[in-house]
Amino acid sequence: MNSKEQQLTPVSMEMHYKVSGFLNMEYRLLDEERFTEWLALMDEDIHYWMPGIENRRRENLLSEGFYDANHMAFFDDGKLDLSRRVARFSQPSAWAENPATRNVHSLSNVEVFEGESESELLVYSVFQSVRSRGQDEEYVIFGRRRDLLVKNGDSFKIRKRLILMPNATLSCKNINTFL
Amino acid sequence: MSNIIKTLDATDCLEGIESVCDIESGRISGKIFYDQKIYEQELEKVFARCWLFVGHDSQIKKTGDYITTTMGEDEVIVIRQKSGGVKVLLNACPHRGNKVCFSESGSTRGFICNYHGWSFNVEGNLTGQHESGIYEDSNFDKSKWGLKEVAKVASYKGLIFATFDPESPSLEEYLGPMTWYLDALFDNQEGGTEFVGGCIRSTYECNWKIAAENFVGDILHAGWTHDSAARAMLGGAVSKVSDFEESYSVNWNGHGYEFALDTVGNVAVLGDSQLNKYLHTIKPSVAERLGDFRSNMIGSVSSCTIFPNFSFLAGQNTVRIWQPRGPNKIELFTWVVVNKSASQDIKDRWRKGAMMTFSPTGVFEMDDGENWEYCTKTAKGKVTAKQDLYIGLGMDSYLEDTDLPGNVYKGQLNEANSRAYYQRWQDLLQSKSWADVPNRNKGKAEVEK
Ligand code: FES
Ligand SMILES: [Fe+2]
Repeated sequence: MNSKEQQLTPVSMEMHYKVSGFLNMEYRLLDEERFTEWLALMDEDIHYWMPGIENRRRENLLSEGFYDANHMAFFDDGKLDLSRRVARFSQPSAWAENPATRNVHSLSNVEVFEGESESELLVYSVFQSVRSRGQDEEYVIFGRRRDLLVKNGDSFKIRKRLILMPNATLSCKNINTFL
Repeated sequence: MSNIIKTLDATDCLEGIESVCDIESGRISGKIFYDQKIYEQELEKVFARCWLFVGHDSQIKKTGDYITTTMGEDEVIVIRQKSGGVKVLLNACPHRGNKVCFSESGSTRGFICNYHGWSFNVEGNLTGQHESGIYEDSNFDKSKWGLKEVAKVASYKGLIFATFDPESPSLEEYLGPMTWYLDALFDNQEGGTEFVGGCIRSTYECNWKIAAENFVGDILHAGWTHDSAARAMLGGAVSKVSDFEESYSVNWNGHGYEFALDTVGNVAVLGDSQLNKYLHTIKPSVAERLGDFRSNMIGSVSSCTIFPNFSFLAGQNTVRIWQPRGPNKIELFTWVVVNKSASQDIKDRWRKGAMMTFSPTGVFEMDDGENWEYCTKTAKGKVTAKQDLYIGLGMDSYLEDTDLPGNVYKGQLNEANSRAYYQRWQDLLQSKSWADVPNRNKGKAEVEK
């Protein structure tokens, strides 16, 4: 554990339970195609970011190692961008979404820490997304996630999400889901 | 140093290849998308002969800066030389063939092979080995065992191309008058263009030609395929292409550019008014630089493929290569291109906008992938693959009387570029040497400056 980790304060068991319940609910909304409700979980200032991963030598790393804020990204979205993606899913002319993609999202390795302010929480986790399309297509994406949640009454809003997959080449044609 | 590469001896042309496409009657067959024997001929007669895009100047600025990519399925390192030039080296060690560079980009003083420790400098020359003494005992001639260098490297306005074939025509001749049109995106401002950092790579289960052809001249699909994305980004349908008063399909040597003259139809789908505004702001200076005609193309509804597998969209500013990985698989490498002289804010907006629309998470591209994969997969059926596919739109639309360079056809809703693309492909597969490749160009070859 490095010194940065030691400074992190784990939340209470009760708060941990609430947060993991919230994140599980978020994933169920995606699997059930309840995109409008999903979008409502995002804070107005959401930064939803999935940088491209670059396979580079240790002596030539980027500002964040395998990724860089100024480089190309799969998602580098604010609320408007996310709402446009949701709008595309909802168009009857999204031909490729009929028959629909069948999704199973799951989350594990959840660690919840207190954030920089009273109302913020820092959450580390590991995600798995399994998609099946058509008769026989199957795509699996794994990765790590770092979320910044803000307390919102009895629930939460998602203010920052960093999604890191290990792959420098996406092994399928698209990511037609959220992670 | 003799690091020059051995070239392939031309094998015989595939029997029956002359009948898989009958371009004059507007017919191709699905077999060309799913046949291993055809694919092997393509690696040799297309990818080992043609000029292939390997990178942009801005990706390798300083001596020792490199990127790795492939030419066909051959892995190469593209590296900046002390002289300022660029070398393209096979990414395979001349000892047992191990890959010498495993990184997609970086900066280095050389490469050391992981297997037995042969080391190479920026020029690709062999400079040392682990246990070098034993090599001396074997009269080993170091100067003969550098990384192999491809036959020719040349660039046009920052775009670096390479070819394995010393007999290939010059890049200038290969591109012909298409360069006049390339300038609309790659040279519309002083200082030219640069690529945004990174390279997004993804995998499609489709034939490489389907994707390349989509960009060479298929705007027809946009209004239908991309309706959902357009509605999401613009709140309405994409511009109705048949409503444009003036639009063209232009081709040369199998390359093709289809375009309207509406200035901002392509950029508009990024849904960022600042980018439209930027193009409107620079337009007068583009007109001064390139003339009125091309100032209308800087972000208009358009697409382009440089034969065989390099494509881009002006306006969305997405640039890509469809890397062949077997008859029914490609790796897609995408980049975002911006004007060097643009502000950082404008560059950032393009980086985000291009990815939001044309990338594996892009709302437009998602629908393309689905179509291309199934155009490929249906051809798995032997009987299906033998059936005719229609490619006859715009048969009689050639424009004799035009000042525009290249083979010019009226209207962009037209399969003229696609036909020229497959015709060139078939010509190459039917030709054992460059001398045998027929010249089918009938338009103006010269570019007025
Ligand atoms: S394979 Fe490279 S040193 Fe032996
Ligand atoms: Fe498309």
